[in-house]
Formats: sequence, C-alpha cells, structure tokens
Amino acid sequence: MFEEISLLIQKGKAKDVAALVTKALEEGAHPSDLLNAMIAGMDVVGEKFKNNEVFVPEVLIAARAMNSGLSVLRPALQASGVKPLGKAVICTVKDDMHDIGKNLVKMMLEGQGIECIDLGVDVAPERVVEAVRESGATLVCLSALLTTTMMRQKDVIDALKAAGLRDKVKVMVGGAPITQQFADEIGADCYTKDAASAAQAARAILEQQAAQA
Amino acid sequence: MTNKERALNILRYKPVDRLPAVHFGYWGELLHEWAAQGKIPLELARNWGDGNDYDKELDKIIGWDFNWQHMRGCSNGLYPGFEHKVLEVLPDGARRVQTYTGVIERVYPGVTSIPAEDDYQLKDREAFETLYRPKMQYRPERVNREYFASFSADTYDVPVGLHLGSVLGDIRNMTSVVGMSYLMYDEDETLFADIVDTYAEMQYQCVEEILKTGAKFDFGHFWEDICFNNGPLVSPAKFEEYCAKHYKRRTELCRKYGIDLVSLDCDGVIGQLIPIWLENGVNVMFPLEVGTWGDQFEAARKQYGPALRGVGGVDKKVFAQDKAAVDAEIERIKRLVDLGGFLPCPDHRLPPGSKFELVQYYAEEIKKIRL
Repeated sequence: MFEEISLLIQKGKAKDVAALVTKALEEGAHPSDLLNAMIAGMDVVGEKFKNNEVFVPEVLIAARAMNSGLSVLRPALQASGVKPLGKAVICTVKDDMHDIGKNLVKMMLEGQGIECIDLGVDVAPERVVEAVRESGATLVCLSALLTTTMMRQKDVIDALKAAGLRDKVKVMVGGAPITQQFADEIGADCYTKDAASAAQAARAILEQQAAQA
Repeated sequence: MTNKERALNILRYKPVDRLPAVHFGYWGELLHEWAAQGKIPLELARNWGDGNDYDKELDKIIGWDFNWQHMRGCSNGLYPGFEHKVLEVLPDGARRVQTYTGVIERVYPGVTSIPAEDDYQLKDREAFETLYRPKMQYRPERVNREYFASFSADTYDVPVGLHLGSVLGDIRNMTSVVGMSYLMYDEDETLFADIVDTYAEMQYQCVEEILKTGAKFDFGHFWEDICFNNGPLVSPAKFEEYCAKHYKRRTELCRKYGIDLVSLDCDGVIGQLIPIWLENGVNVMFPLEVGTWGDQFEAARKQYGPALRGVGGVDKKVFAQDKAAVDAEIERIKRLVDLGGFLPCPDHRLPPGSKFELVQYYAEEIKKIRL
C-alpha cells in the first residue's frame, strides 16, 4: 500500500491518493509511515525533474496529489504527535511578481514535510523579518526572477541582520538570474538551481538544525 | 547593400558586406533612465514601441540598423477579448483585475514587473464552450484585407515579418502555467487538445486570409515563451503531441506563399524543443537568452547544422558593465557568426541599468565586423 501511494503521488492522482490514505488510516497504518511514503513519491518526482525526465506540469500535479493526501493525513499526524520537519518562510522579493518558481519550491518543500509560511510576491524585507519572528521559522527561501530585483534578496538578508535574526535562520536563494557566486556575494547560506534541489537542500538544513538543537 | 539584404542573406547563408546592428527593444524604465540622463528626448521614452517612428528615431541616435521585432499581423487572439475591468481593490492597494485573456491578475501599485496571476476562468469544458470557444472563432473582421492588399515588405529596407500567432503560449496566458498543467494532465485530456486545436484553426485562417491578399513578407514569426531557466515548461513529448502539427500547417502555408524563413520568439532554455520546431518548419530561433538563462545556441547550431538559424544570443547584461565586457561578448559571438545563419542581437529587451554609451559602442563595433 505504501508503494502504491508513492506511485500515485508520482502520477499526480490526487483523488486516488486521498482515497488510499483514508483507507490506510482506517486500516491502522501509522501516519508517519504514510507521510514517508508520500515524501518518497515526491522524492522520485524531484529527482526526475532535476534530470529533465519530468517537467513543471508533472511536478505540479504530483504536488497537488501530495497536498490532497496531506489534507487527509494532517489531523492524524497532529493527533499522533508527528511534527513537521521544520518551518520555512518563503516569498518572491520586493518589486517582483513572478511566482511560478516560488510556488514550485513551496510545493516541493511541503512534499518534504516542511511547513511553509508563504508570503506571496512583491514582499518587503520587513515583512520577512516579521514572519520569521512570528512563526519561529528557521529557514527563509527567497525567489527573484529579474536582474533588476535580485539585489532585493540582499536587502532581506540585511534586514534579518538588523533585526538580530540572521544567526537564527538559514537563507536560501534562487531564481533565473541567481548564481552560486551571487549567493556568496550577498551572504546567502544556500543556492540551488531548481525546485527539487531546493527541497533536498532545505531538508538537509532543517535536519542539521534539528541535530544541533 | 540594405539592412534587409544583410539580415536575410546571413540567414540564407549568402554573402554580405558586414553585420547589421540589430536590437530587440528596451524596457520602458531604461528609456526613462536615458531620458533623465539627457541621452534621449523624453518624447522617445514615452512613445517608443517596436518598429514605430520613435523606435526608428532612437535607432538613428544610438546607431542601430533595425529592430528585429518588425512585424505585421491581425487580431488573432481572443475576439472580442474579455472586458478589462477592476474586480476589487484590496486593503494593501493591489487591484484584482480581469484581463483581456480572462485571467484575474493582482496588480500592485508602483510595480512595473509583470502582475501576479490570481485566478483564471478556463478551467473546464463548460468554461471553454461558453466563454472561450466563441472568442476563438475566425471572423472576417479579424483581418484588415484592404491594408494587406497593398502591403509589401519589399518596400522596406529592413526585414518585415508576418506574425503567425502562438500555438501554446497564448493558451498558457489564458490558463496560467498551473491551470495549463492541470488541463494537460487531468482526466479530460481531450479538452486541452480541443482548446489548442480550436485556437490554432482560427490562427491558421488568419494567416491564410492575410497571405491570400497578396501581401509580401520577408519571414514568418511565432511567439511562444514556453521555456524557463531549466528548459521547457511542458514535456517535449506533450508539446509535440499537442502542438507540432499546428506549426507544420502554418509553416507549410508560409512556404506555399514563398516565405522560407520562420522565426520563433521563445525565452528561456529552448534546446529540448528545438528539434520539434525544426522538424515542423520553424528554422530561426529568437532571442537565444544566453545571459540570464544560459541558453546554449552554439551547441544546438553544431548539433542541427545549417538548417537551424538564430537571431539574438548577445548577453544583454554586458551593457551594464564596461567596454571590456562588451568587447569580450563581441569576441565570443564571432564564433557563432562564423558558423553562419546567425544574426547577433541582444538576447532580450535592454534592461534598466544598461549604459547608453556602451549600447552605442556595441552598435558601432558590430557594424565593423566584415563577413
């Protein structure tokens, strides 16, 4: 059954995933095992996406299937004390309206069991600071598509420093014009080229933070 | 030799005296920057548009030979379009707006980037049949026959293209990427095929009606924008399944009327879709975004040979740097020029921060390249 759930996630069968997760819970499956099966499905999709074996639509429908399963599973996860891997604040930076990449990363992060606080697009640095304070998120993910807005990622990092929060969060950056060199120059902690890599990197960061806590 | 002859000869692997200085326009903010710096009259910044008189005036000031975006076309989108109206003003000042395509956008005050998509209406068969199919029909009023009956690109000294429309990009604009993805992969895949085929039939008829008037063009031109920095937004297999036949039909129509060059505007990394376009009659790729997106046209040109031509491929980011960066970029593109069938042009509209003197310098230097 776990394998079947993973496969249905990969195929993007939202209704079937929800039905099978419901059935599995009724039959006594442990919520965390079901979550792991779903994450395994998203891992396969992410890996194929990185290798250009599947494309944005396949990722979107897989993520929709994941969310469908999660909506059934979430109450059971809470009831059994299973906590999310961690919390991430995610947004597209100020003056930039592009949200496809940001949404993809968000979906992939959620597919890893990470709770996302999505601030949307055109987000000012002070809103990110506020969201980190309120949520206790330890990861900030910043997207920028334009060469004219990429420097806004540095503005957020500066705002986190000014607010005394820089040491409490890791900052990931991404977007078409972003490079590792640029990420280093602005003092980001992590850059990834695509959404699947971002999800893997986020998981590694949050696991490392958990191990150090 | 005219600039038209230079451009078309390069794309047809025929001799030319020198490279023409070709561009792809500007972001509005850049022109206002230049106007504020006293480089160009404010009137040009306010009124510039691809191929209009202000564009030509700007060409003279900068030293460009012409703008590749010199097209003629007709009303080949939704007809009539949806009413453009503000649906709601949100507490943060953003407006929810229904656009011409029926998409609901969130427009933020003072932000000049593209608006955020909030919702879309083309979600199911009912929406298609009642809202969209009627707007996707061919009607005679879409084409200004009188204008085209007396139109000939031969009277221009720059290449003038016939706009052939879009096979998937326009539909993506009606549904958003997310909506298109759901439609393509959900249970009712016949609906998506029906949408693509209906829209394509209308655009084919538009092109046919224009060409039947006897109007002459130097090339045909599609717009798509269906790729991003990691490649196509859709799988090449799905793209081929839904779209290939429509490119083929329209490019064959062009060839029937003597148009041998068909270009296609697609941002992003296009490599995986090139073979589909090439096999179906599209033979000039544009604008080859080497800078922002890292497109690799040189590799594709070597792989597919002379059948594949390109316009673009000059990293526009160098215009925000210095002369050395511009010189290095010109040196780099000489390799592509030497392969033939390649017309250098900034790889998208020049963004804010581009230095006026460097753009002038580039235009001057590129014209010095003899072939």
